[in-house]
Amino acid sequence: MIRFLATRALGAGVTLLVKSFIIFSLIGLMPGDPLDLLIQANPEATPEDVAKLRAIYGVDQPIGERYWSWLTQALHGDFGYSRAQHRPVMEVILPALGNTLILMGLAFVISTIIAVFLGTVAATQKGRLLDRCINLLAYAGISVPSFWLALVLIYLFAVRLGWFPAGGMPQQGEGLHGWAVRLTLPLLALVMVEIGGLTRYARSAMLDVLGQDYIRTSRAKGISTPRLLFRHALRNAMIPIATIIALGFGYLFSGALLIENMFAWRGMGRLILEAIMGNDYNLALVCLLFTTAMILVANILADLAYTWLDPRISLGGRRR
Amino acid sequence: MSDVIEKSVSVWALRWRRLAADPAALAGLAVLLILIAVCYAAPLFEAWLDVSATETDLLSRFDPPGGGHWLGSDDAGRDEFTRLLTGGQTSLSIGLLGALGSSLLGTIIGAIAGYARGKTDMVLMRITDGVISLPTLPLLIILAALDLSKLGFSQDFIRSGAAGYWRIVLIVTLLGWTGVARLVRAGTLALAEREFVLAARAQGAGSWWILTVHILPNAVSPVIVATTLAMGRVILAESALSFLGVGIQPPQTSWGSMLTNAQELIGTAPELAIYPGLLILISVIAINFLGDGLQAAFDPRSDAR
Amino acid sequence: MTHLIEADNLSVRFAVGGGLFRAKREVQAVSDVSLTLNAGETLALVGESGSGKTSFARALLGLSPISSGTVRFEGRDLAAMSAQDRQTMRRSVQAVFQDPFGSLDPRLPISAIIGEPLRIHGIGTARERDARVAELLELVGLPATAKSRYPHQFSGGQRQRIAIARALAPKPRVIVADEPLSALDVSIQSQILNLFVELRERTGIAFFLISHDLAAVHHLADRVAALYLGRVVESAPRDALYSHPAHPYTRALLDSVPRIGMGKRVPGHALGGEIPSPLAPPPGCHFHPRCRFATERCKAEVPTLRPIATDHLTACHHPLLEAA
Repeated sequence: MIRFLATRALGAGVTLLVKSFIIFSLIGLMPGDPLDLLIQANPEATPEDVAKLRAIYGVDQPIGERYWSWLTQALHGDFGYSRAQHRPVMEVILPALGNTLILMGLAFVISTIIAVFLGTVAATQKGRLLDRCINLLAYAGISVPSFWLALVLIYLFAVRLGWFPAGGMPQQGEGLHGWAVRLTLPLLALVMVEIGGLTRYARSAMLDVLGQDYIRTSRAKGISTPRLLFRHALRNAMIPIATIIALGFGYLFSGALLIENMFAWRGMGRLILEAIMGNDYNLALVCLLFTTAMILVANILADLAYTWLDPRISLGGRRR
Repeated sequence: MSDVIEKSVSVWALRWRRLAADPAALAGLAVLLILIAVCYAAPLFEAWLDVSATETDLLSRFDPPGGGHWLGSDDAGRDEFTRLLTGGQTSLSIGLLGALGSSLLGTIIGAIAGYARGKTDMVLMRITDGVISLPTLPLLIILAALDLSKLGFSQDFIRSGAAGYWRIVLIVTLLGWTGVARLVRAGTLALAEREFVLAARAQGAGSWWILTVHILPNAVSPVIVATTLAMGRVILAESALSFLGVGIQPPQTSWGSMLTNAQELIGTAPELAIYPGLLILISVIAINFLGDGLQAAFDPRSDAR
Repeated sequence: MTHLIEADNLSVRFAVGGGLFRAKREVQAVSDVSLTLNAGETLALVGESGSGKTSFARALLGLSPISSGTVRFEGRDLAAMSAQDRQTMRRSVQAVFQDPFGSLDPRLPISAIIGEPLRIHGIGTARERDARVAELLELVGLPATAKSRYPHQFSGGQRQRIAIARALAPKPRVIVADEPLSALDVSIQSQILNLFVELRERTGIAFFLISHDLAAVHHLADRVAALYLGRVVESAPRDALYSHPAHPYTRALLDSVPRIGMGKRVPGHALGGEIPSPLAPPPGCHFHPRCRFATERCKAEVPTLRPIATDHLTACHHPLLEAA
């Protein structure tokens, strides 16, 4: 167990390192770095001035060396400053990370429960009207542009009906009620987008399990259907479902990015977009690394869930 | 020789028959074809209705539907209906090209990995896993926002509409090939062990012959399905990027870019914020219906589903 | 006289297993096998599954690498051939595989399947290839209309005829047939065997026939070699081998398929036990754990292949007496 975790953590660390280099290089290619801005602001700058400035900012160094100096600082816990907010990057990121985890965590739990329920119902009603309705809903979920869905929800529930605010974070003193009111629409949008794919996977995983011999045998022995479904079949169907959920974490994050922006929710997604659009590249870089790290952790958790759900699999992924 | 030889039917004819028996897939195909046809007929509609999808007319902003403006006019006085069609050309063609591009790249990488095996396979699959676990949307945004002049492209090219268009196609290709690469690799690994491939090798066929004549044609069904489904995802990605302002740039237009200022419009002219999204939704649903129908038609075992 | 095909001390080894933390292990699939095949002759290689006969065939066909030893085609070493000569050689050595459902590309029409070797080697124009395909279909007893159909529309026996037609297409000197009968019904087996006999009479082609079934190859073979765990244990002209098997293994194989009119049989020679894993072959004579005549010497010393009569070789310390 510990050895498994250590191996995986090591692998994830290497992946993270490679990715940090790729992202670092890409961000170096973004327009409007501090130097570009200075040169633009000063049209009389001579090529010599530019060269001097490049030396001051260290951008005359090859990309490898720049990356190395950034990395050594980062490994010492110094992720640098956010240029736009004039604060250390970590100070900016941590609250946003909290907000994102609240939104994504809730969306994750709610959409998993709904999707597994809908998928199970659809599988048992295969081919009937209810199955078709759920199927259509799932198709709509995977086919809708999430930002547009958010717009429609804002239009309906904020502009027309006025039930919920169109967006923003809860203010101090709004308490739990404030959170509930402000979370509802973003959550609704994220869940609606997320359950589409999950329901389809849950349904097909359930169909696979229900087609197996031991389920038919138990049914023949007269075990009641709900008990059979939720005690026996679901446990087996959860194995593929758990994998999909964990591997879909990056997808969920992409959805969250757009939805946070639509509802002005101060999370990581909004922060990343602001950082990229506002040329705050160090912030963007660290945000992206955090996101990648979260995805990697989710994948490791998926493997752990796998072993917990399927006793036949030992850590290391080999079937006994 | 008592065996009865059936009437000659190719595999593709059988598959088409199965697809034609699936109402959802047929409906998807029909909707998609109609959308494409109507979108590319935009110039005809413009001439017929005497409206323009591109010329601004500040005297007729937010015109209600009527006259030549079937769906009214937008915030710059352009005809909304024909503008939707023009934007549809961009969205649908980017979807198709991006899906084809990623499938092509994925097929090449997957075929090399599955056929070469060993270290090549390991390295390519590591790269695949790495790309899969990247945060897709933020990376798409960065790639879409890259300063092309720093990569040595000329300013003229960067400012042209084509740059924005092909940049989207390229970046969805660069991030979208992984699924197909895995499918093709798995197919190639399995097929390379089949006796008809051994037979071809024994006859003296080279790697290129074996890959193009025997392996890829036999591995193509899941790729067709994946390409179809990818088209839907590419359309969604393009719409998100254009909506965020890093995708299709004016004067070009797409369904996504038509939504760029939708958030401001939602109070004044909500229908302008609804139409483009609705068209995205309809086309992506149609594509997904078609993709799943193709999957069922290609795989007789899935009949039970 | 040069042999058509001559294998000299041919060995094939595979690495198996081998994970990140486990060493690879080596399987000796074929050990020092020397066999010859003359023009127009039919040589049958028999043995249980796991005896290495398929590995040997694949090495001959260039499908698996040769670990040591040489294969000569018309006297010329395969390993020393130029790429062009090797292509020419491949035209002359064609293959028929066991599974007629797997050996035909399901996506191609029959004309493309049979014409494939011609296209690979650039033989003839499109029209000439069409004519050749028609000719071959007739030769293997299939209707001319078969050419536009697909493999799934044919039965196993018909498919094997198609595979044979494909092998015949470039006018080879020899066909290597790896268990061409075992996937077929018994009634179909004899049809295919008769087709082989007929083809040999009409074209003078040589056959290298690989089978686990001594009874099936009796009809066709001129000479028979028995393989056990990668080694040749006996090799003889057909009649000598069937009437006077010298190696207890050959004897047991013959006994396991009782047939009328093939010499007297001493009962009780049936083969017990299973073929050992080639990962851990027994020391000495590989066959000794299953041999009822085994002595201490068999457990320690590997018997060499030596002649006991004209053209009759066996690798046994105690060849059965009636062989003499």
